[in-house]
Amino acid sequence: METETEDSKLMAKIAGGDKSAMKLLVDRYKEKAYYLALGMVGNSDEAYDVSQDAFIRVYRSAKKFHSGSRFFPWFYSIIANLCKDVLARRMKKEVPNIDIDDCEFLLAEEGNPESVVLEKEQARMVRKAIMKLPLEDREIIMLKHFRDMSYDQIAALLNIPKGTVMSRLYYARKKLAAMLEEFD
Amino acid sequence: MSDDKYKIMLSGYIDNELTPDEKREFEAYLEQDAELQKEYETFRKLKEVTGAMKYADIPEVVWENYWAGLYRKLERELGWIFLSVGAIILLAFGCYHLVQDFFFDPRQSLVLKIAIGSGLLGLVILLVSVIRERIFAAVRDRYDEVQR
Repeated sequence: METETEDSKLMAKIAGGDKSAMKLLVDRYKEKAYYLALGMVGNSDEAYDVSQDAFIRVYRSAKKFHSGSRFFPWFYSIIANLCKDVLARRMKKEVPNIDIDDCEFLLAEEGNPESVVLEKEQARMVRKAIMKLPLEDREIIMLKHFRDMSYDQIAALLNIPKGTVMSRLYYARKKLAAMLEEFD
Repeated sequence: MSDDKYKIMLSGYIDNELTPDEKREFEAYLEQDAELQKEYETFRKLKEVTGAMKYADIPEVVWENYWAGLYRKLERELGWIFLSVGAIILLAFGCYHLVQDFFFDPRQSLVLKIAIGSGLLGLVILLVSVIRERIFAAVRDRYDEVQR
């Protein structure tokens, strides 16, 4: 709640053209923005650009932001829309400039040296399967499995009921498990 | 065939998001449903595998330069806005003088007026056509179907 009030105050200052308030907001959310975008586009350069473009939109639209609204879900919807633009542009290209299979945006945690090869291969398969999921499924998998958000947090972020989070996760996991089985 | 209600509750169970009552109810059902037990095992394994993975880190220097890069982008955007406004004013001024000093000037040759007028009309038609095509393509873009 405190963060939300602080965000609203910062947004009011940004609307008045205060660059130091913008810097504070950027410092607070840059990593979150980058990793959320990375989960959706799967490529670090594009995720970096998306996160910066999202902040530019925040700066441009600061006057339209209602002080009673919560900043982060609004900001997230900007990031999600920009990611959709990136994916749509990628689909339109006949020769993609990025081979998503080469984008190691998710890695196996460093573990036992004996099992490292196996874990790396497993991580490669999970990455591949996640990027093959429809965007809506990928989004919820990334939020739960890799951002470790609670159902309440996801529901607030996506503006959906908690029950919908549970059912969307069920179907997304089912698809992901089926793909991994296919790759095995 | 497992009840859909319990299938969906499976996600909540795996993530420890069920209330104690829901948990008890789910566990009682799980005990007697072999299909759901199999699915539980699959989801549990999936969580274990993804739990052993993490996002690739990016170098600290990237974060250090983040604000500077963003600020440059914001500055450039402001530059583009001023440049565009300037170009629009110049264009409007040019058009006004072209009409006043050239098309309305009786000393200018009619053939030249028709040639230049026709060329300009063609340019406007082409521009409108391209813009319309772009807008049409953007409206038809169905992001919901975006898949890799």
